[in-house]
Amino acid sequence: MQTSKSPLTPSSPPEGFGKAALFTLSAIIAGFAIEFLTSGNGITIPRWPANGLFLAAFASAIAAVGFGFRDHPVVGWMGGIPVGLSLIVGLALLSLVGGVLPQDPLPPGSMVSTLRLNGMFSSWPFAFVTLLFLFNLGLSLLWKTVPFRVANLQFILFHGGFWLALACGLAGTADLQRLIIPLYEGKESNVAYEMPSERPVHVPFSIYLNDFQIDEYVPQFALYDPATDQVIAEKAGMVPEVRKGARAVWPGIASATVTDFRSDALPDRDGNPLPSNGHKGVPFAKVRVEVPGQAPVERWINGDGPDIRPQFIPVGDYFIVIAPGAPKAFRSHVMIRSASGGHQPGVLEVNKPVDVLGWKLYQMGYDEKAGRWSTMSLVEAVNDPWLPAVYLGFFMIMAGNLLFFWKGVKKMEAA
Amino acid sequence: MTLVEFPAIAVATAACWGLGSLLQIPAKKSRPAASASWLLMTGGTALLAWFLASYWIALERPPLRTLGETRLWYATLIPVVGYLVEYRWKIGWLKYYCMGLATLFLGINVMNPDVFQKALMPALQSVWFVPHVVVYLVAYVLLAASAVAGWHNLWLKFRARSSKVSDSMSHYLALLGFVLLTFGLVFGALWAKEAWGHYWTWDPKETWAFISWLAYLGYLHLVARKTDVTVLQWYLGLAFIVLLVCWFGVNYLPSAQNSVHTYSG
Repeated sequence: MQTSKSPLTPSSPPEGFGKAALFTLSAIIAGFAIEFLTSGNGITIPRWPANGLFLAAFASAIAAVGFGFRDHPVVGWMGGIPVGLSLIVGLALLSLVGGVLPQDPLPPGSMVSTLRLNGMFSSWPFAFVTLLFLFNLGLSLLWKTVPFRVANLQFILFHGGFWLALACGLAGTADLQRLIIPLYEGKESNVAYEMPSERPVHVPFSIYLNDFQIDEYVPQFALYDPATDQVIAEKAGMVPEVRKGARAVWPGIASATVTDFRSDALPDRDGNPLPSNGHKGVPFAKVRVEVPGQAPVERWINGDGPDIRPQFIPVGDYFIVIAPGAPKAFRSHVMIRSASGGHQPGVLEVNKPVDVLGWKLYQMGYDEKAGRWSTMSLVEAVNDPWLPAVYLGFFMIMAGNLLFFWKGVKKMEAA
Repeated sequence: MTLVEFPAIAVATAACWGLGSLLQIPAKKSRPAASASWLLMTGGTALLAWFLASYWIALERPPLRTLGETRLWYATLIPVVGYLVEYRWKIGWLKYYCMGLATLFLGINVMNPDVFQKALMPALQSVWFVPHVVVYLVAYVLLAASAVAGWHNLWLKFRARSSKVSDSMSHYLALLGFVLLTFGLVFGALWAKEAWGHYWTWDPKETWAFISWLAYLGYLHLVARKTDVTVLQWYLGLAFIVLLVCWFGVNYLPSAQNSVHTYSG
């Protein structure tokens, strides 16, 4: 094989990692000790302006230490790679606990709740390691930024962006408001609810729900096994859509062909479908079922609806049923009025939030029992004043990442 | 094209890769054998790519929703990394591992067939869906290749046949993988804000994505610290386990019960 210039330099013994690991471990143990002594109460981040002042003081402390004591060996060590790396490992290990154990409230008393392993990301050990990591990151950032050199731009963007996103993201959680607004067709509301306390809150705007709509995928016809509560896939590995002419084969059990289909109908006295004319109709399909060794059966079956029970065709221990199509899209047509009297029409849909007076409104849910006939819509109102700072961090990370890629490619070409 | 044809396509693809690999033996001395070998290997990948494209058309949505669908992409893309590495660094062995891994993933898909399902839940109907998942998949492919290269480099060291080129190759694959992993993570956060109201909720999948990212961030800091090359190869070989947990394993963890990412299972 050819030899080449390698980005990986010959071995050098890792220095300072032992002390750095001990330092990180001490921070984690101290954090867990506080959790143990406070029965796993966790850390409560103060709201604005206290969180902003704390962050400003913390950044100033980093700057003061970084500039004032740059040559001090302890400060140099605090801003070095061994400490940074050990804190990265510490963050990863604490996150691992949070990524394995459910992060749900537990009754007090168990070791999991006493050490707050079920609330890892608001625990003291996580806070200590994160703060020390931000301190380490801040020092290294400072030393790479002053004096400024273009060669350090990638480092500054990536590390600065990470510092900003992490620090502002965590400090900002205290000011993040996520409220649920239940809306009913033909009614207006400015009452939202904090979760999980369900405490009512008045928002600075009201929303009138004109109409709530759900689009569904085409319904499917399936062979349902009540013993396992499972749908049996047919031979092509599909759950076939209900369309006129559609055919499904369940090897060794039956085959079925849709000979007629009405997407939205209600039954007459004889069970034959008639157009629903705007009423709460359901899909109807005339299905011809052939079971080996038996005479074919042809009958109308229909899906479930608020005014009608589902009809199906029994096939041995199974049933041929119409399964409703999964929700394709759901949206609320609303009129939003501000306290000053201004109003704006809007359509709320998943992935398409609407901005109102610094809030973002999200289509969140609906009455799932009523399904596509729901007249209730759940809207989430989110206010995150720290978002611009976090997004600035994200974009700095991406810019640094692009430069990292560029430099990597150039090194690769040179190698 | 639907999943009915998939087993035949998988077998044909694996056969192309297998035959192409065998033809590499005479290819060292015979130019026609070398051409036939490459034709078969790239043909296998092209066949899989064609299936993927046809499946996308039949599904009427990007086939990126289920784990089975992501495995299909993975099996299509990872041999390409092997071919490109040979083209760039003249290192031939990586492509065999890549085709082997791809065959393993095709086998898993044949043994656990997906149900042909066109539905795409509203939260996934976003402009972020394709870039987020594709960027992540390419990152996973590159990092898998770096892990395999790491293990092979350790084997070469054990036999006292290590080379700087080979060590560098695993590093550059990890570097490119990390760049894409970072983009995938940030794209995911930006999408989550649009879909679910907040960019980060410590959902188990997000947490494991963060852990994976930290793992490779740690690797880059070890490189910056001029850590021993052998340690780095071990690190790359083992770090991929974290990615596998993030990709598959998280669905089986106790924390997964409340995950909003269970649709991908």
